[in-house]
Amino acid sequence: MKKYIIGLLSASLFLTSCEDFLTVVPETQLSSATFFKNQNDFEQAVNAAYSPLRTITNDRSWLLSEMHSDNTYYVRNVLFGAVDNQEDLADFSVPESNGTTANVHVLNQWRQDYLIIARTNQILALIDEVNFDAAVKGNLKGQALFLRAYAYFELARYFGSVPLHLTPVAVRSEAALDLSPEPAVYAQIETDLVAAIPLLLDKAAQQPGRVTSGAARTLLANVYINQKKWAEAEQVLSPVISSGQYTLMASYDMAFSENAANKNNAESVFEVQFIEGAAGLQGNFMYQFMPRPISAAELQPIMGTNNAQPIDGEGNNIPTPDIIAAYEEGDLRKDASIGYVFLAGAFQDPKTLPYIKKFESAHSQHNNHGMNFPIYRYAEVLLFMAEALNEQGKTAQAIPLLNQVRSRAGLAATTASGQADVREAIFKERRVELAFENKRWFDIQRTDRIQEIIVPFGQRVVANPRAYYYPPIAGAVPRNNVFTNLNKFYAYPAAESDLSPYF
Amino acid sequence: MNNHYLSKMKVRLVGFLLLMFCISVTSFGQTQSVRGVITSEGEPVPGALVLVKGTQRGTVTDIDGNFSIEAAAGETLVVSFVGYTTKEVAVIGGQTTYNVTLDLSTSDLSEVVVVGYGSQIKKEVTGSIQSVNGKELADLPVSSIAQKLQGRLAGVQINQTTGRPGQGMNVRIRGQLSVSGGSAPLYVVDGFPITGDINSINPDEIEDISVLKDAASTSLYGSRAANGVVLITTKKGKAGLTSVNLNVFTGFQQVPEQGRLEMMNAEEFAQFKKEYYEDAGQPVPDVFQNPAQYRGKTNDWYGAMLETAPITSYNLTVTSNKEKVNTAIIAGVFDQKGVVRNTDYERFSLRMNTDYAISDKVNIGVNVAPNYVKDNTPRTDGSRGTGILFNALHTWPVMPIYDEEGELTFFNRFPANTGNIFAYPNWLRSADEITNETLVVSVLANTYAEWKPIKGLSVKSTFNAETRNSRFFSFNPSTATSAINVAIPTVAVSVRDDIEDFSWLNENIVTYDKSIGDHNFQVLGGFSNQTFRRDRTRVQADTYADDRLPTIQGALNINRGGTISGVEEWSLTSVFSRLTYNFKSKYLFTASMRADGSSRFGADNRWGVFPSTSVGWVLSDEGFLADNPTISFTKLRASYGVTGNNNIGNYTSYALVNNTINTVFGNTIVPGAAITSLQNNNLGWETTSQFDIGLDLGLWDDRVSFVYDFYTKNTTNLLYAVQIPQESGFTNFNDNIGEIKFWGHEFAINAIPVNTSNFRWSVNANISFNRNEVIALADGIDRVYGQFHITQVGKPFGQFYGLNKLGNYANAEDLADSPKIPGRSTVGSIKLEDVNGDGVITFGGDNDDRTIIGNPFPDFVYGIVNNFTFKNWDASITASGSEGNELYMRHLFSTANLDGVFNMVRRARDRFRSPENPGAGIFGTTVGGGNVTGVERDWPNSNFVWDASYFTIRNITLGYTFKKLPKSVKSARVYASGQNLWVFTPYWGGSNPEVSMQDNGQGDGGNLSPGIDLAGYPVPRTITFGVNVNF
Repeated sequence: MKKYIIGLLSASLFLTSCEDFLTVVPETQLSSATFFKNQNDFEQAVNAAYSPLRTITNDRSWLLSEMHSDNTYYVRNVLFGAVDNQEDLADFSVPESNGTTANVHVLNQWRQDYLIIARTNQILALIDEVNFDAAVKGNLKGQALFLRAYAYFELARYFGSVPLHLTPVAVRSEAALDLSPEPAVYAQIETDLVAAIPLLLDKAAQQPGRVTSGAARTLLANVYINQKKWAEAEQVLSPVISSGQYTLMASYDMAFSENAANKNNAESVFEVQFIEGAAGLQGNFMYQFMPRPISAAELQPIMGTNNAQPIDGEGNNIPTPDIIAAYEEGDLRKDASIGYVFLAGAFQDPKTLPYIKKFESAHSQHNNHGMNFPIYRYAEVLLFMAEALNEQGKTAQAIPLLNQVRSRAGLAATTASGQADVREAIFKERRVELAFENKRWFDIQRTDRIQEIIVPFGQRVVANPRAYYYPPIAGAVPRNNVFTNLNKFYAYPAAESDLSPYF
Repeated sequence: MNNHYLSKMKVRLVGFLLLMFCISVTSFGQTQSVRGVITSEGEPVPGALVLVKGTQRGTVTDIDGNFSIEAAAGETLVVSFVGYTTKEVAVIGGQTTYNVTLDLSTSDLSEVVVVGYGSQIKKEVTGSIQSVNGKELADLPVSSIAQKLQGRLAGVQINQTTGRPGQGMNVRIRGQLSVSGGSAPLYVVDGFPITGDINSINPDEIEDISVLKDAASTSLYGSRAANGVVLITTKKGKAGLTSVNLNVFTGFQQVPEQGRLEMMNAEEFAQFKKEYYEDAGQPVPDVFQNPAQYRGKTNDWYGAMLETAPITSYNLTVTSNKEKVNTAIIAGVFDQKGVVRNTDYERFSLRMNTDYAISDKVNIGVNVAPNYVKDNTPRTDGSRGTGILFNALHTWPVMPIYDEEGELTFFNRFPANTGNIFAYPNWLRSADEITNETLVVSVLANTYAEWKPIKGLSVKSTFNAETRNSRFFSFNPSTATSAINVAIPTVAVSVRDDIEDFSWLNENIVTYDKSIGDHNFQVLGGFSNQTFRRDRTRVQADTYADDRLPTIQGALNINRGGTISGVEEWSLTSVFSRLTYNFKSKYLFTASMRADGSSRFGADNRWGVFPSTSVGWVLSDEGFLADNPTISFTKLRASYGVTGNNNIGNYTSYALVNNTINTVFGNTIVPGAAITSLQNNNLGWETTSQFDIGLDLGLWDDRVSFVYDFYTKNTTNLLYAVQIPQESGFTNFNDNIGEIKFWGHEFAINAIPVNTSNFRWSVNANISFNRNEVIALADGIDRVYGQFHITQVGKPFGQFYGLNKLGNYANAEDLADSPKIPGRSTVGSIKLEDVNGDGVITFGGDNDDRTIIGNPFPDFVYGIVNNFTFKNWDASITASGSEGNELYMRHLFSTANLDGVFNMVRRARDRFRSPENPGAGIFGTTVGGGNVTGVERDWPNSNFVWDASYFTIRNITLGYTFKKLPKSVKSARVYASGQNLWVFTPYWGGSNPEVSMQDNGQGDGGNLSPGIDLAGYPVPRTITFGVNVNF
């Protein structure tokens, strides 16, 4: 027994001396113990907070806010299944039960927005504890605040009330929060943006592509307009217009980033940044917007690649006859925005189908392009301002702004005069000027015109499926549940609902 | 004398020495000198004791089994040796030569069993341990130890999940499962818990395998023991003997036609396509208008991938145990070509084990085992698009494998209007041209020094090291692809993945044996340190100018995402002790404890303590049973203990920063970084507490022995990446949660129905019933979904989960009256059960219509081994089976894709075509395209789940031993062996009902997703012929 005691004593000595032996920190990976210690760390953290925007714009926004409108639809390919996630969005038949939906795109939009929020929360919680140049710090904080506000604005428009995380999650119990009512979410967005504007650099000073004070003002204006706070919108937008840092590009097609030199051009207020190549920062939305099945030979002239490959499946985000008809006679934007391609393998009749052309740009590798995707352009700033003024009864001041946009499109001045007519003119102008820039659903939603616009659109699809790209094949008709879910907001993602006690 | 803990060899040695002592006191009467040879199974028995009954006269046999002793007529010679039945021979006047054949003892109670940190006489074992001697496994023509053990161990389920040479053995002791940690047992080779691959060890090096099942047996291995422990002891020389053994076998392997998945032939496929278009009211493409044109012109892509392949093994074993040196050298070459084109596995292995007695008190030993394995397996296994075999299986049989000149075609694509939406490369070219080669050089070394200062006390220090250098090289030239729908030429891609592992272990152990009267004690105490380090460099490059030069510098592009360098380390520090006590070898007691400190655990929870205790009672030594004519041995055992599982990843407790979340502004790429996991300073090991109760029974002088065990264990603190709402910005939180309960019964029986000098038949059979139930998951979480599975509180782990198929909508009324899927259900489409009763069929979310649709776990598994010897002939038959387990026939999502984009299972001919022609009820209508057929295909449902019970004749071996041999040859045996001869199963989805997809990161395979059949590498039937010569 004595032996045993000695053994235990020696063992306990041994235990205290071997903590070092047992402390094995990751050698080839940074950990929380070593990060967020200096300016460089925070710069990298802010850069990473931009990153989910690429996924959102490349893979989700157009499904949730453009194909979920009367602007675009899908090209039915009867050989492909597992397409109901996309079709349900275009068909306004997103399944809902108990306020949740299994739609995968709704889920991923939610998750990517909260990824931005978590990353910016981490930055905002720690940045003031580390000492470095105040101006640099301010610019970083401003960007983080903008990105958080932008993510919450997306969530507020898609879902209404959402959990409002403002500090980083550290333990499991903090992971889920109760829903904050929509006004509270908007209030937080406004707070963040109001704080961000003075911290951010303007377009002239900021590294091109990063958030500027002009971008923050435009976003805040959008937030105000969504809440019909017209005067506030006018007030926050005025400096953007008067700054002289923004102009409309001479021609409509030059407004988009086309080539490397034209990125973040004078019309660009904020755009999501991509670059082609092997760095993994490329986009492929052009490919996602193609009708299918498309052969390599049919695809190559559009993409200009040297290794074109065929694509199968079901084509999405295809311009509807409605948007094609919405352009006025002589509108230069029509040909700049919509192209046509002949697909020998298509089942459709005719086999020539429209596609979104406005972002088109030649690139070298298949499925890998570097065009940026616009979030806000100066044209929209002008239309926002026109709308804010018109809604306040300053219709006369609004009309020149509207005409500025029309004139670039090769159109005559608007014939609308009264407030109601101008309101409608601006609404129509937004549709064509900002077509395929993921604005249409939000415009319909915020103006409470879902029933008025989507219901007849649905009736047209059901009455004439061939016009909406259903192939002339027996049984290839709209499903019997189309246009049955016209809710203003998407249901909460079921996979998140499963994990949260609050919804 | 108390030598309970000496090894088997030591027992023999000590016996030998004692007898030498006895000889000096032999007395002589009116005697003559008699001599003879003691043999057993044709081999001489050295060291056997020959005594003249009732006298002090005795001797032991020499190396060749010879003895010489003085004995008078009428006296009796008693010949005995450990492990053999004692024989008596009367001395007859005038006869001077007495050759005696010893039979192997039917009772093995006196045998010594290897246990954790020592050995124990079987009679006194209180834990649940099963041993297998390497000899029993020698004839099985397979590459790995686990394959050899199939069917032999009660409570151990061993499945061969893929036929890829040298891979895919799934070993599970007592049904142990973990949510995210590994489930493989801990392998301890000569006292060293190895970190590398057990399959790379040459099975011929193995003397003995002990499988430790209950916690009392395993808890000395602490935080790594929860999955059970397999102790492997390698060969040593036999006392006083030099032996040279050459074992060579060669043969061939084939995938039997019977059991393969039946696919449509070319004509049937064309007929299907024709009907498809007719049923849909569409014009039939030209190529399918006349299916009869394809009669006899089937391109069996899957069959073309397979070939008859040779298998060869050479093993030379030299052992010597003379004076102070005991040496064993085993050299092996194993060469197995795969039954799939261009796959092979080679192993060159060497082992040198040496023990040296420096003095009476000091022994040292060194084992060194270098090993080289070359493995070439182009991407045979995998899902649609990634696995060549799966791709070949569903390629249209109307597509030509060979062109008119007899050359392999390059690329096959039918016109778009035929529904051929995927382009197919020639899979034979894929197999031939894609390189996927792994070269592994490993060295396993054990050294020790042992000091015995006084009687009963031993101080032993060991130092063990293991290095493993694995070089993986894969090259996909521009002319080949393993994927569907990739145009040729494609982008050439190379991957180099070099992994260097190094692990060392130092152990220091003191044992003290002491007997006071009938009280026998042993105390063991020790401490150990082990570390592991892995250095990894992976380089992925693509876009090669020239396929002939797949160097890194030959690539135009280095793929940054696929290029990694990294270091992984862990360390483990432990103290352990054990007390063993028995009274008269009748009342048995053991208690042990280990404390493990692991670098893997969180900073605030670094140490785990793992105690155990066990008791045994040998009833047959009690008076009331002592002279029972039937019951020769009875022991009751009970044990309880706690073990852990530290397979939780190396840095799981840390919040890690990913600093490759780059982004771009304008045309400038800038670095980005974000925290991608949450920290948990309390993270710890999984804990399993296990109770075991067992009965060992021997009947009729132990001719029949029976072992029964019941166990029940609870695994708590399961390491699980608990899914958290992603509104947090994170996907999961690594935590210790939940509880799973396991219980089961194991029966094993050993019997020798016939035991005569000419004919001996022995039987070893076992059956195990393993069950589990999830008691709890994390708070607020009562289920975890997989793609095809659910793990749910109150139910067994990893159940198949999906919609329950009721049939097909028979006609318009049936469709109108039944719950359906809005927009997708039609007459003839799959009819599913409305589980939640809401009138529609829904899929997704917690309250949809999914339900448990099958169980991947068997009701019971069993094995039976028969051994026969008849004069010079020997034979053995090994069989094993599994009853009640189901498989998820995952490949049906392609092989029964009713859109006709792939070749299909033959059964799809008999699908629903109209209310008048509803088919066999398995497959539904093709009309309506993906919107209709996609439900059947893409929504997991019970149509995928099929009974995969099986009974497999694992091995039949027939041997003949030559007795009359030249002087230089001690014995020679020739044998024929057949492996995996017949599989009896109702499963129709492929030839291997043991298949289970390994985790591919896409929801197939993994701990929560067992039993997925993705048409992997088939397990071949192997026929070999061998020669075994002793010099």
